Amino acid sequence: MSELLDSEDRLRGALRRIERHTPFAEIVAERSLGDSVRLDRTSVSPRVFPRLEGAAFRAWTGDHWAEVASTGLLAEPIDRAAEALIGLLPEGAGARPPPGEPTGGEASYTTAPPRPMEDLSIEDRINFARDWYAWATTVPGVPNTTVSMGFFSDERLYLNTSAARRHQRVSRVFASVVPIAIEGGRVQYDALVRGAIGGREVLDYITEERVHDVARSARAMLSAESPPTGPITVLMDPSTTGTFAHESFGHGTEADQFVRERSYLRPILGSMVGPEFLTIADDGAYPGGWGGIYFDDEGRRSQKNLLVDHGRFTGVLHDRVSAALLGGSPTGNARRADFLSREFVRMTNTYVEPGDWGLEELVKEAKDGVLLERCTSGIEDPLGGQMQIKVLRGHRIEHGELTTLVSSMALSGRVLDVLRSVRGVGRADAFEIDPGFCGKGHSDMLTAGTGGSYMLTSAAVGPA
Amino acid sequence: MTRAGSDLAFRVADQLKIDGPWDVYAEHLARYEIHFDGTHIETVRGPITIDGYGIRVLRKAEDQMGVGYQASADASSSGISTALADAEATARHARFPARAVVLPGSAPRALSDVEISDASLADRPREGVDAYVRELFARFEGRTGVQPSFGSVRATVGETTIANSSGLATSFRHTSVDFELAVKASGGPEGRPPGEYWVTRFQRRLDPRELIADADNWCQRAKDVRVAEAPPAGQIPVVLPAYVLSEIVPPVVGFRLSGAAQLRQMAPEPGTMYGTELVSIDNDGRMPWGGESAPVDDEGTRTGRFALLDHGKTGGLIYDALHAGAFDRTSTAGAQRLGDFGRRAGSRFTSRPAPGPATLALHVGTGGTDAEVIEAVREGIWVEQFGWAFPDPTSGAFGGEIRIGYRIRNGRLAEPIRGGTVGGLVLAAPGTPSLLNSVVTLGSTATLSDSLRAPTIAVNGLTVAGTT
Repeated sequence: MSELLDSEDRLRGALRRIERHTPFAEIVAERSLGDSVRLDRTSVSPRVFPRLEGAAFRAWTGDHWAEVASTGLLAEPIDRAAEALIGLLPEGAGARPPPGEPTGGEASYTTAPPRPMEDLSIEDRINFARDWYAWATTVPGVPNTTVSMGFFSDERLYLNTSAARRHQRVSRVFASVVPIAIEGGRVQYDALVRGAIGGREVLDYITEERVHDVARSARAMLSAESPPTGPITVLMDPSTTGTFAHESFGHGTEADQFVRERSYLRPILGSMVGPEFLTIADDGAYPGGWGGIYFDDEGRRSQKNLLVDHGRFTGVLHDRVSAALLGGSPTGNARRADFLSREFVRMTNTYVEPGDWGLEELVKEAKDGVLLERCTSGIEDPLGGQMQIKVLRGHRIEHGELTTLVSSMALSGRVLDVLRSVRGVGRADAFEIDPGFCGKGHSDMLTAGTGGSYMLTSAAVGPA
Repeated sequence: MTRAGSDLAFRVADQLKIDGPWDVYAEHLARYEIHFDGTHIETVRGPITIDGYGIRVLRKAEDQMGVGYQASADASSSGISTALADAEATARHARFPARAVVLPGSAPRALSDVEISDASLADRPREGVDAYVRELFARFEGRTGVQPSFGSVRATVGETTIANSSGLATSFRHTSVDFELAVKASGGPEGRPPGEYWVTRFQRRLDPRELIADADNWCQRAKDVRVAEAPPAGQIPVVLPAYVLSEIVPPVVGFRLSGAAQLRQMAPEPGTMYGTELVSIDNDGRMPWGGESAPVDDEGTRTGRFALLDHGKTGGLIYDALHAGAFDRTSTAGAQRLGDFGRRAGSRFTSRPAPGPATLALHVGTGGTDAEVIEAVREGIWVEQFGWAFPDPTSGAFGGEIRIGYRIRNGRLAEPIRGGTVGGLVLAAPGTPSLLNSVVTLGSTATLSDSLRAPTIAVNGLTVAGTT
């Protein structure tokens, strides 16, 4: 497997050939590396991630994008892909350029953590995992725990026919400890998860105390009560708040949905949608944020974009075409899951900015309701304005105090109703960006960070 | 790198020159896609060419097995050597509680005895996708107030090759189509907000003729979304068609009734009642056009059919060769390479095999047509689509928001509903309420949806959480 930049001359040659048939073309070449260790009661599974490299070639036909891609960065696959793309371009494609302005110029960024993961030997990593496993399984009633940790490095080179060159290498580290409790055929678990751009310092979050806490929680889940059902006051933990931001004002603000007239948010851009203390942002440049990138896959620098600014819906996320069609500016959110996947407008790190409430104050303010904890996933309905979020567990709130542990739940509701019902956002000391993966529809999964602190609002919940 | 193709696993195997056990799994895939906004083509993609392979080595380590795996798209001589070195290095540190692993032996070089390849699509993929999209657009011509807002057709034509140290060298061809369409209903004098019905499908064939009936249904669903009301709350009879069950049942049943769950002490004992007596589920790797059907599993073992649940009682578990070795069993052709995020995330060669379900078959009952199942329920709800049902293989739970459904009143479908959640456990030990031990009626005909063939079922005892 060659170095990515070794292929640059070949890619430039292909671009020059394609350029004769189109007003605009671009190439995203990618090489990914990484490894992981997965360990549980019965097995140890170190893994080197697939050695994959290749490139996507995109050109404007005069009416729409044409695209091909191939694994491999040697001459043969590159030449084959270039010829295939030329075959998709009609005579006269040079007449009309694509909407929007191309990027130009040159830049390069590489993650440079103070303690690179590469310095840890495989033995060291297995020892880390064994320690975490041992911490979890010392808790009675937790016979097994799945531990995963590792890193992956995603290197991309972007070139276009407007002389742009962008090179980036983003290194992400992840770790998870999932204690599993079993009793009488019932299985429950909890999860301690961390992931960020960086190096070994990310692993420092996994402490013995936190592992003990999550293992005790898994055991307690076996006797958790059923959750409440129906409309109720809900207090979201930071992981749930982050997913709420992602599903509510994330997908609905991806401007390709505006172009398709598929976002219920389009008519209310500029309106107040929540209380003045509520601000939601997407920030591809958030330091260390799991979903961060230095450049998007159209070569634009990532940046912070305010989606809801002090309660007002102020911004959307763009790629080149949506910005041009809607009179906006590209926001650094044109992303491909990998070189085999197409570009869409996508989120990076989406979060609710912290407020000034303490957790105890929010619980008191809630009076009666439910605390949603350990969000696992969510899904949006960009046109209908609905969303749903699943959490692993929760606690009832009764008379202003946290009481009974309850089992997994799904929250559902109309985004605008939930936003208007927000009564308080927690302080920065509870703020965190969680690692996750996001699809466009059911496919094209890519890294996405979700963040927030605690947030108090109202929604419907039910068992899930 | 050399040009990869349909003999890739064999070429990689020829270069290994190592002691067994080992196997090589390779894919040559070409994908063709059209993405559209409304009825305007937005992006034409293809070929997206993927050539890759994975080398697995199995090394004795005291009384256990060290399993090493490395996937690569580099089929050059040096690329294969590097991948092999990585696989051997990880095997030295890996441990799995199998004393021995028996890999499948010889099989015909080219297998085609399970229908999973659409010949027409395989011969002319670009033209096939073009024709399908044209027909799709034609289905919306002349309609007022209902149009596609976006969608995509992604067709993959592939050939899988597998070789191993037991002399296996086999291959098979396959096709698949991911289809996504958002149908939007809007306008009209009533001033209601627009409604959308979101169609997602995975299927083996691409047949534009199916669109003739489908388009009418999708348009009606999109219109119904606009007028849907919140569902009732409580423990209400729920009717679930095959295309909803296909999202819920395979992930949970496929894991909990597998050697992987057995290893983690999560699998039920054989002969335990995990469903009502009406419920029988087979694991069927040979079901024509099934989403997880193939002549061999992902280790090259010839596929077959066996009972996972027989009249509610647990039967066999799903084993790949590795997990079979841990329990002194033989493989049930249950090796799947699904990756971290499932099949749609990419190519199977990037993942090592693990136990997983083939296409599942839920046996039909005597409940008759959908209309008769509904009539038998009398009062309840029909779930047409969840936003996402969030099936959790570990806990067995599922639950999702009703994207669109219908009230059942007096034995007939009535007004549309939307919002609220339906959830519970998919399967659970006797005495614990679950989807499968609450089934009261199964329809008399089954339909295939992705990797589940099932009749429509009626269930008592699921919790419906309304919004009012």
